[in-house]
Amino acid sequence: MRFLAIFPLFAAAATATLAAPSPSRVARQIDRLIAEDVGLSPGESAPRVGDAAFLRRASLDLIGAIPSPGEVRDFVNDDAADKRTRIVDDLVHRTEFGVAQARYWRDVILSRRLEDRALLVSAALESDLAEWINAGESWSVIAERFITATGSAREDGATAILVAQDGRTEEIAAEVSRVFLGVQIQCAQCHDHPWDSWKREQFHELAAFFPRVGVRPQRGRPIDLVVNVADRRDFPLLRTGANLNRRGRPEHYMQDPERPEEVGARIEPRFFLTGMEAPLGTRDAERRGRLAEELTASEWFSTALVNRYWAELIGEGFYEPVDDLGPGRKPSAPRAAERLATAFTDSGHDLRWLHRTILATDAYQRESRPRRAPGAKPFAANVAQPLRGDQLFDATLAALGVDERRLRGLGGARQGRGYGLATPRLLFNSAFGYDPSEPRDTVQATIPQALARMNTPQLNLAVRALPGAVVGGLSLRHADDASAIARELYLRTLSREPTGEELAVVLDHVDGEGVVASAMEDLFWALLNTAEFSHRR
Amino acid sequence: MTHWLRGAEVRLTRRGAVASRRDFLRTASAVAAAGVTMSWTQRVALAAETLRRGGKRCVLLWMEGGPSQFETLDPKPGSRSAGDAGAIATAVPGIQLSENLPELAKAMGDLAVVRSLTSKEGSHPRARYLMHHGYLPMGGANLPTLGSAVAERLDAERAADAAAALPSFVRVGRTSGGGGGGMLGVDYDPLVIDDPSRPPRNARPASSVLRYRRRLGLLERLETDFGAAEGTDLVDAQRKLVAAASGMILSPDMQAFDLEREPLSARQAYGEGRFASGCLLARRLLEAGVTFVEVTLGGWDTHDDNHERSKALAAQFDRPAARLLADLKARGMLDSTLVVWMGEFGRTPRINGRGGRDHYPRAFSAWLAGCGVQGGRAIGATDGLGAEVVERPVSPQDLFCSIYHTLGIDASHENTTSAGRPVKLVDGGSVIEELFA
Repeated sequence: MRFLAIFPLFAAAATATLAAPSPSRVARQIDRLIAEDVGLSPGESAPRVGDAAFLRRASLDLIGAIPSPGEVRDFVNDDAADKRTRIVDDLVHRTEFGVAQARYWRDVILSRRLEDRALLVSAALESDLAEWINAGESWSVIAERFITATGSAREDGATAILVAQDGRTEEIAAEVSRVFLGVQIQCAQCHDHPWDSWKREQFHELAAFFPRVGVRPQRGRPIDLVVNVADRRDFPLLRTGANLNRRGRPEHYMQDPERPEEVGARIEPRFFLTGMEAPLGTRDAERRGRLAEELTASEWFSTALVNRYWAELIGEGFYEPVDDLGPGRKPSAPRAAERLATAFTDSGHDLRWLHRTILATDAYQRESRPRRAPGAKPFAANVAQPLRGDQLFDATLAALGVDERRLRGLGGARQGRGYGLATPRLLFNSAFGYDPSEPRDTVQATIPQALARMNTPQLNLAVRALPGAVVGGLSLRHADDASAIARELYLRTLSREPTGEELAVVLDHVDGEGVVASAMEDLFWALLNTAEFSHRR
Repeated sequence: MTHWLRGAEVRLTRRGAVASRRDFLRTASAVAAAGVTMSWTQRVALAAETLRRGGKRCVLLWMEGGPSQFETLDPKPGSRSAGDAGAIATAVPGIQLSENLPELAKAMGDLAVVRSLTSKEGSHPRARYLMHHGYLPMGGANLPTLGSAVAERLDAERAADAAAALPSFVRVGRTSGGGGGGMLGVDYDPLVIDDPSRPPRNARPASSVLRYRRRLGLLERLETDFGAAEGTDLVDAQRKLVAAASGMILSPDMQAFDLEREPLSARQAYGEGRFASGCLLARRLLEAGVTFVEVTLGGWDTHDDNHERSKALAAQFDRPAARLLADLKARGMLDSTLVVWMGEFGRTPRINGRGGRDHYPRAFSAWLAGCGVQGGRAIGATDGLGAEVVERPVSPQDLFCSIYHTLGIDASHENTTSAGRPVKLVDGGSVIEELFA
């Protein structure tokens, strides 16, 4: 009997091994496959990045924050051979991991909002998604929640895509396909896609999974948006077409572009990747539920996700742009992309696993180089990325030693008013954030952003050598020793010590300025305005 | 930022010629005898010379919330739809405007009023988007707003003259959902000025100019490590950006933002209020070489107390708008400057229980002036109640085609989204020929 009792344990262990391939092993496979796929020889790639830069990079990528001077020193002085693996394991298990990833997806989803009122889902999206990710939930379970959500935007973050697309049937279909499959099928919305093989009808068949979803404002304080389902069995099945009021039991209609005054043909739900169909009259929950199930089981689902994170972490996707995988597109390292996607599926769509794996690759751990020219080989180096709004906000606060909660007190968070846009973080994000799905080389800093970094009065106040502020404290502690203060300022902002050349420039400036404290104010100001500070190296 | 910097490159490539307006100013300054500094007005007069040779410009007077046509451009005195305001004769026989617009009535000779705009979009955000982009929102296509599209097209045509320190598109007042550069990139995002009576945000160095320059010097020398290999391009871009931003705020062109430099009489001529200041600022910015200025007057969503509120709002734009036209004319700039007045939709013929009018996209009005538009005419008409367009319907696409046409821009020009999808400036629509014939 004992033998039989052990058997399930064996089975479980076997499944676990099968389900979660070793990150380091997969990382080695990926590196090998990339080298073969793109013909990359060891001499052609950038050297391994230094410890300090690795720590800043990994911290920003995983928890959205820069390390403290103490953390940098400890990490650099640690002699353990496996310290990079250990710090990554540590970072992916911090609460900030889920929060940082949730904020990334908030930007992905809400950057494409149709109307600003959709921003009121921000808070719930951030906290719910952070919780699910931190609980180790599978990306497929999370995606299913987004696709099948109902209810209040303020209470359920899973409503985000439906709310951002304002409950519009065709827009929701397009966005679900873009975000979760990396397929831009909406290009076929009006006409057959000029170069992809999707047909106009296939887009509308996808849209036909969503005609019963609607978003309505709910008056009151605070104002809310609610995802409704029009599924009333006691209402007649509408046969007259375009039912914008979402009453009764609507179906989707495809307009004839030649006859815009007519509602067009009624379309039956059919999923373009698998051919799965739902008959007319199927209830909403079943429609969206079956779509979510089929969609998350498809290869495209895993490929789209690993491609997106690969691009975030290495600087370039296998497919570019990150949300346009084809069909008919050739990935830059096909076998590596396929291996990573398959292993991610085997991991149970585990985001922690994916991060541990990608961060263990040589491709990740190389120094950065400027984005490659079109003809050059991909993945020979990492690429420095502009910090997203949240990352820059947190990095700035950390460097200045300011607590976000104190800002809230000052900045009048006006809870419950407007769309919740009034928190300092969201205001900062609206000034400095960008759509993470846009090709990264098109993300450019603007003149108003540069002016804000250089001249915001509060920021300049925080840079001054006042008691209780950074430079004031350092001047006291280091008794006006310019080199020592400069080292600390470098650690606080760039998470590294200055080079000898840089220190010489600083000391030269001190000589010119005369007063150490004011020269250090200048240095602090300058460091906060460097490209290195606002990028993840 | 790159097109703000293009000037520097242009200067390098055109030896011997006065390549940019700033250069022109510098040259002119240098010519002026030592110790004699030119006044702002003189400098502007010289700049205007070069502008006149150059391209066209545009001002959008944006009426946010949906202005009532009955209380502005399409009064229906004596009908069921009429509110409290009557109609008055204008400088043009046969054309009446609401009595709320006495100054524009005098300027009617310059205005082409379109009374037959019609659309289906009655929700604020979507209509606002439509009347700023010429399209309804489309997922995945990050379209440029009118000001950005115009600035980009006009700059493309006159690269040599685009070397201003100031951006090419300035928006005065907050317009939620007014859009930005979109797929054209941040170069064509508007510089937003919340309050026209104050300088742009963060445009004043927090330290003295001398110390600011020293700090900039330090910053310039610092990024040798990151710039060596890992972030060569990024350090380079950041340096250019810092140079452009600090160049802008330290530039004499920033005086354009300072309304205090305008004589008191000129300020008084525009009247009181933010919108009036915005119109004056618009004129100064156009003179300083800005291509597109959008000035917003909000508060038009008059679901209650429409008559009083519309009257007060009309009083806020009537005088400044008329003054802007007169000023542009006096400076010889109206021939090359298009001024457009519009909002997202009109308001209902029916007056509701709260004395208000609700959203009404089916028939509404706008006006255009300058840049070759024939003034003194009313185009299209609504029925006796103002409920239906009965003559010469004009779609938002027609209006956008006409705006682009007036500015000499090909409305079928295609921009490309990041996904490689080409999108025309306007899809469909045709030019309103009556504006020119």
